Amino acid sequence: MAAKVKQLPSRGGTPAEKVYLIEIFKGMGITLRHFLRNLWDNSNLYVRHYPEVQPNIPAHWRGRHRLLTHSDGTPKCVACFMCQTNCPANCIMIKAGERTDGITEKMPVSFTIDLAECIYCGYCVEACPEDAIRMDTGIYAFTSSNREEMKIEMDEMLSLKGGYTEEEYQKGLEDE
Amino acid sequence: MTTLDIVMVIVRVSISAFVPLCFLAVCVTMERRVAGFVQDRSGPNRAGIYGFRAGGLVQNLADGIKLAFKEDIISEHVEHKFLYVLAPIISMAAAIISFALIPFADTLVLDGKAYVMQGIPWDTGILWFLAVTGFSVYGIILAGWSSTNKYSLLGALRSASQVISYEIPMGLAVISLLIVYGSINLSDIARFQGQNWLGFIPMWGIFLQPLAAVIFIVAAFAECNRTPFDLAEGESELVAGFHLEYSAMKFAVFFMGEYVAMFASSAVIVTLFFGGYNIPFFSTDFLIRNIKPVAFVMLVILPVFMFYFAKWIRRNNRSQYPRENDPREAEATVYIRCFWILIGVIEVFLLAILAFAQPDTAAAHLLVALMQICTFLLKVTLMLFVYVWVRWTIPRFRYDQLQILGWQKLLPLALLNIFVTGAIVVALG
Amino acid sequence: MYIDTLFSIFALTAVAGSLGLVLFRHPMRSALCLAVTMISLAGIYALLSAKLIFLLQLIVYAGAVTALIVFIIMFLNLREKDLPEENERFTYFIGGAVVLIPVAWFMIKVMKSIPEVKNSIVGNGFGSIKEVGQMLFTNWLVPFEIISLLLLVTLIGAVVLAGIRRESND
Repeated sequence: MAAKVKQLPSRGGTPAEKVYLIEIFKGMGITLRHFLRNLWDNSNLYVRHYPEVQPNIPAHWRGRHRLLTHSDGTPKCVACFMCQTNCPANCIMIKAGERTDGITEKMPVSFTIDLAECIYCGYCVEACPEDAIRMDTGIYAFTSSNREEMKIEMDEMLSLKGGYTEEEYQKGLEDE
Repeated sequence: MTTLDIVMVIVRVSISAFVPLCFLAVCVTMERRVAGFVQDRSGPNRAGIYGFRAGGLVQNLADGIKLAFKEDIISEHVEHKFLYVLAPIISMAAAIISFALIPFADTLVLDGKAYVMQGIPWDTGILWFLAVTGFSVYGIILAGWSSTNKYSLLGALRSASQVISYEIPMGLAVISLLIVYGSINLSDIARFQGQNWLGFIPMWGIFLQPLAAVIFIVAAFAECNRTPFDLAEGESELVAGFHLEYSAMKFAVFFMGEYVAMFASSAVIVTLFFGGYNIPFFSTDFLIRNIKPVAFVMLVILPVFMFYFAKWIRRNNRSQYPRENDPREAEATVYIRCFWILIGVIEVFLLAILAFAQPDTAAAHLLVALMQICTFLLKVTLMLFVYVWVRWTIPRFRYDQLQILGWQKLLPLALLNIFVTGAIVVALG
Repeated sequence: MYIDTLFSIFALTAVAGSLGLVLFRHPMRSALCLAVTMISLAGIYALLSAKLIFLLQLIVYAGAVTALIVFIIMFLNLREKDLPEENERFTYFIGGAVVLIPVAWFMIKVMKSIPEVKNSIVGNGFGSIKEVGQMLFTNWLVPFEIISLLLLVTLIGAVVLAGIRRESND
């Protein structure tokens, strides 16, 4: 398929345009109109007054990670290392251990994500065969004054709840 | 020297030295807010002291404090540390003293003695401005050279060659003006522009010498290294240009010097082309002779103006989202009250003048001088707005385009203008 | 009194600037010393009530000529290792000073023979642009025109030289 070429008309050739000043005054007229409108009444600005006014973020927008649990509260994760292998930023560190409750044979002993390294690509969510990790907490802004605090542990991720209902989340995935 | 002489010296010198520095806050705030409004965003308006934001002025205070308390770094590779430190001082000093010879009010007569309202009461006027702005090149060259950094050096090369080459059309544009005005003294030039032409057109330089005005203003933009001629700090090519290696207060001095130079060149443009301190249609003599009607008109106009200004503050100083007990409306109330108190004080003074002052007394002279200072500063502010406005409208020139504009367009035009002006002046006698 | 003090200050800075011009090793520092000398000389002209010369000194010599010199030195971007070795410079300095002693002695004698005059500001527009201009265009018209012709020749010469170099590059 050949690339589509759109020929734009070349500007600036006429004598009136070569004097610069006329065109400059036209441009200055446009900016002055914007300036005066906004000076007269600044409620027309195309500005969201963050953080007082929060943006409306769709459900499939990737936020902070959480680990899902079965209905009895045990983690779904089976420590298969799929997410850690897939992670392009190498921010997931899993230590696997034996599982004694009989659901599966393995489970993570520790599951650490370094949020300072994470690039929020979502590959871990896609790679997970057990639907054990999701990025649907709806937490998008978090800061810390030292790097160690940016590493989140398994307990913290298990305790987080999803920011959306299951239907919204599934619909979001379909839209994607 | 009497006490009055000493007081007047102090007043004049402090006006010409501190007004440019005070206008820094105006310039920087205007730059940011106008940029915001032109691009349909709001610009910095969040920084505040106990919720008082003063429309973004507090942001300057925050930036100033930050720059003053930042660590002042001189890199190891800087060989000539003395010259490195000297560079920002030169550019700031050149900017401040270039304002010294610009009159900000008509000659003030007190106790039968005339005081020329300039920082330095000297009649060398516009040549002094040209001489002193030439010195700013040293600051640029020294900064770029002593930084020992290729980007700084390239920025300084561009900036210095630009300033040197645009000085020529600027000087030639001034010559054609001098033919018309017949004096290099800026006070004479400003007084000349106080006359009226055919009774209703003020005899401003822009009407007498439109071509010289265009050339001078373009050259002044280039001298200040402002957009569209700010190649010295082409961010995409040169990072920041000649002040790349400077940090903290040394950078701040460069930054301030740039804005003071902008203020001084606006003041010169206003003095040469827009009537200086003159209030259009009203000469100084007319105002002094009719001081009572003037005071009465001011007495009426000020509250009306304040009424609409208060409405404007009300409309714009509120949170643009649903909020209970909006603190910004309380803030607006405080501002409006402060402004009303200020207006009230001025009204009292005007009433006193209306009641007691006779025409041609010291009070009348002082009131007219104050009005002229306000007019001058208003005009300069408008000119500064033009600087900012142009910056946020026009994209940057390419370097060869810049030199072609300077040498092949402005220079011949300025020469032509001199010949035509000379011929007309001789023909009209 | 003020004038004498100011004169001493300007004279001292002018001498210090020219000493620095000779003694500094780095050309950039020497060039800046030259600028200092130029500005001090401008100050002395101002004390002599020669306003126009003062301004021209500032615009042309301090503002343009020295700035161009500094500009060129910046272009060359000299480093410490690029500078030539000058082991015998102090021998030359001392030799030059010895040679200049008779000249200096003569100059001092000439200075002493000048009658002492009270230093004061000259009035009647002396040295202002109008006076100097009238003088130039009446009494000194021919020399003035000859000098302008000379300037025109140098201007054309500069253009021609620049043009030749560009052609050879092509």
